[in-house]
Amino acid sequence: MELVVVGNSVRALRTGRGLSQAQLAGAMGVSRQTINSIEVGRYTPSLALAVALARYFGSAVEEVFDVQER
Amino acid sequence: MSRNASAGNAERAAARRRLYYWSTPALSAVFGVVFLLAFLAGGHPLTGWLALGFMLVLAAGSALLGRFSETVKGLMDRGDERIVAIDQRAITGAAMALVLVLIGGAIVELARGHSGAPFTWLAAVFGLTYLATLTVLRLRG
Repeated sequence: MELVVVGNSVRALRTGRGLSQAQLAGAMGVSRQTINSIEVGRYTPSLALAVALARYFGSAVEEVFDVQER
Repeated sequence: MSRNASAGNAERAAARRRLYYWSTPALSAVFGVVFLLAFLAGGHPLTGWLALGFMLVLAAGSALLGRFSETVKGLMDRGDERIVAIDQRAITGAAMALVLVLIGGAIVELARGHSGAPFTWLAAVFGLTYLATLTVLRLRG
């Protein structure tokens, strides 16, 4: 079974909490560019970063990242 | 995970990043001194001092640029997984270019009736290093 990330709700969750990309990047310990790349779907984060993002927003990973079977 | 343990991990990660960050300018400065010594030994003191100056400018420049550029900072402190991944892909691309040069150089040297050196043994070093790294990483899982 091959799973692919087809989208995510990082931007919606971030803006919903009134955070800038830089603030979220600081909390995650990554660059602002990386947060932007994740939001626009150019970069799929590692499991560790995906879990960190989900925990930060108080959600499950699959609520943050839309994963589908290829 | 407790809050104390989490804070400890974050502090260790920050210390590791600082170490990585400053290792680039420090290594540049060390290599500058090594180049100077090599040029002095070879009887070219002026070139040696120029090489040291260049490496010190590179050291200061990288330390300064890391303050302004997220990409440079990520390359230096290895703290951003995406930039580390980009760096690894760039290294792979550069290695492929090097392999092509080594193979091309060896072919030209062999066609000229020479032994193929130094291209052949450089290619051997590359290939053996790759196989050794592959084996170690494979065994480590």
